[in-house]
Amino acid sequence: MQLEVAGLDVRYGANHAVRSVDLSVAPGEIVTVLGANGAGKSTLLRAIAGATPISGGTITFEGKQVQSRNTATRVKSGISLVPEGRQIFVSLTVEENLLMGAYTQTGATTHRDVERIFQRFPNLAARRHSAASVLSGGEQQMLAIGRAMLARPKLMMLDEPSLGLSPILVEQLFELIAELNSNGLSILLVEQNTHMALQMASRGYVLELGEVKAEGTAQQLADDPRLAEAYLGAQDAA
Amino acid sequence: MLLVQQVLNGLLLGGIYVGVAVAFTLTIGILNFLNFTIPVLFMLAGMVGWSLSVYGLPFGLSDPLGWAPSLAIGILCAIGASLLVERFTYRYFKAKHGDATEHAIPLVSSLGFLLIFEYLVLIAHGSDSQAFRTPFADLNWRVAGLIISIPQVISLAVSLGIVAGLSLLLTRSRIGRALRATAENPDAATLMGVEVNRIVPVVFVLTGLLCGLAGALFAVNYGEVSPYMGDNVGTKAIAGMVIGGLGSVWGAIAGGLIVGLTETLSIHFFGATSVQISVWGLLLVLLLLRPQGLFGHNAIGKGKF
Ligand SMILES: Nc1ncnc2c1ncn2[C@@H]1O[C@H](COP(=O)(O)OP(=O)(O)OP(=O)(O)O)[C@@H](O)[C@H]1O
Ligand SMILES: [Mg+2]
Repeated sequence: MQLEVAGLDVRYGANHAVRSVDLSVAPGEIVTVLGANGAGKSTLLRAIAGATPISGGTITFEGKQVQSRNTATRVKSGISLVPEGRQIFVSLTVEENLLMGAYTQTGATTHRDVERIFQRFPNLAARRHSAASVLSGGEQQMLAIGRAMLARPKLMMLDEPSLGLSPILVEQLFELIAELNSNGLSILLVEQNTHMALQMASRGYVLELGEVKAEGTAQQLADDPRLAEAYLGAQDAA
Repeated sequence: MLLVQQVLNGLLLGGIYVGVAVAFTLTIGILNFLNFTIPVLFMLAGMVGWSLSVYGLPFGLSDPLGWAPSLAIGILCAIGASLLVERFTYRYFKAKHGDATEHAIPLVSSLGFLLIFEYLVLIAHGSDSQAFRTPFADLNWRVAGLIISIPQVISLAVSLGIVAGLSLLLTRSRIGRALRATAENPDAATLMGVEVNRIVPVVFVLTGLLCGLAGALFAVNYGEVSPYMGDNVGTKAIAGMVIGGLGSVWGAIAGGLIVGLTETLSIHFFGATSVQISVWGLLLVLLLLRPQGLFGHNAIGKGKF
């Protein structure tokens, strides 16, 4: 396994947001984490990225325990998080946002990597020197993903990337994720759009109040009537 | 002619305020923190510089140093003191309470540092003003009836040069980008791999450098230092920063020069006692008309550089 999370606990004061979670991602795999609002999905991803302190458990990435390493070290070793709400830097230009994504990259290839992202996203290239605040929601999501790619990750975690996008843009987004994955990038995907997520993932986990309530292949989760009712269906109806 | 002379003097005085105003605006813009130790960093550079040039190193380790190495060491002391403040106000409380800027604690403890440093200098040297001598203090350049002090012109050029360099650093360099990203969204910057605990001290080093340099320029230009020299300059610099717009580097430059001008013109037209009324009156009127300052944005923390 590329990523192995074992017995992970996160507490915000008295609020036990992630409870003894076990989770794994194999190299090149797409794994999805589902669950209702407040289930602890974002907390789980942030803990893996090192952005939220954990109170117990281990996180192993490519055979090395990283739970006591800081975020910068984890980014360097290949874990990138595209956070909930995109969190692009609106006071920086589009190009500067991408350069921030390459912050941990010391090699001379950064410039070429940036150009490659601009080739992939012509909309961004047209606005490379504009403040990122002028971008539309879809463009901002592309920028957030492009920025994460510049860290040259091996595992990309995406927290609700489709939130607020039109159906066509959601379609494009999932195509992009599939394409990145086909180039060997592992994906850990948190989604409200459970249908799409289960279609694209090979396996999934369902979180409820911080605990893993169900796990299995995407097919198993999609077919589970209890889950469909309790989480997945409810999410789709919302 | 006298009026032109006053305008000139005002700009030169403003050059001193610019350095300190930019130091204030940096910590507010990047850390959202009003650093009250800034005036004392200004004073430390001047007083340590003076003391070294009169007594040499402590414990009789050496003869008095020349004015230039003395001031250079004074500036280093200001940077060191600034890092001390970072370690024990900003970083300590951030580690303990998460976001330090949500609390008044760093602000109050920086006020504590202001008083502690000021009284340490008072204990060491008493409260009198001291003359700071440089060989070229009286070099003047007389053009068309105007007296232009050469050290002042040089120091105006130095402060503007430093600030322009700073602005380039913020907009062009990797570390400057990281500082601006951290200012806007520390959490997202962390996710990019920025180690915020390592980048914050950079702000304090810049603060110490800007204030120390301004203090040294003040000592050279006005030939006088005192433990209280930072108080007046500090408050004027705050006025300059607010006039220019909180968090804006170019605003702090404009604001510092405007305050310097207002000060000398006010003395010219209304006498010395009118200075505070003119400066703060201007500030209040400007805030009524343009609350965000000349170059400020409504949203503090966005698009400042
Ligand atoms: N910074 C925080 N401080 C305190 N409590 C938090 C914090 N972030 C999240 N929580 C709490 O932790 C729990 C899990 O939140 P989390 O954001 O991880 O859920 P989520 O599954 O991502 O929800 P959503 O679908 O709404 O994004 C919630 O009870 C939430 O209130
Ligand atoms: Mg979430």
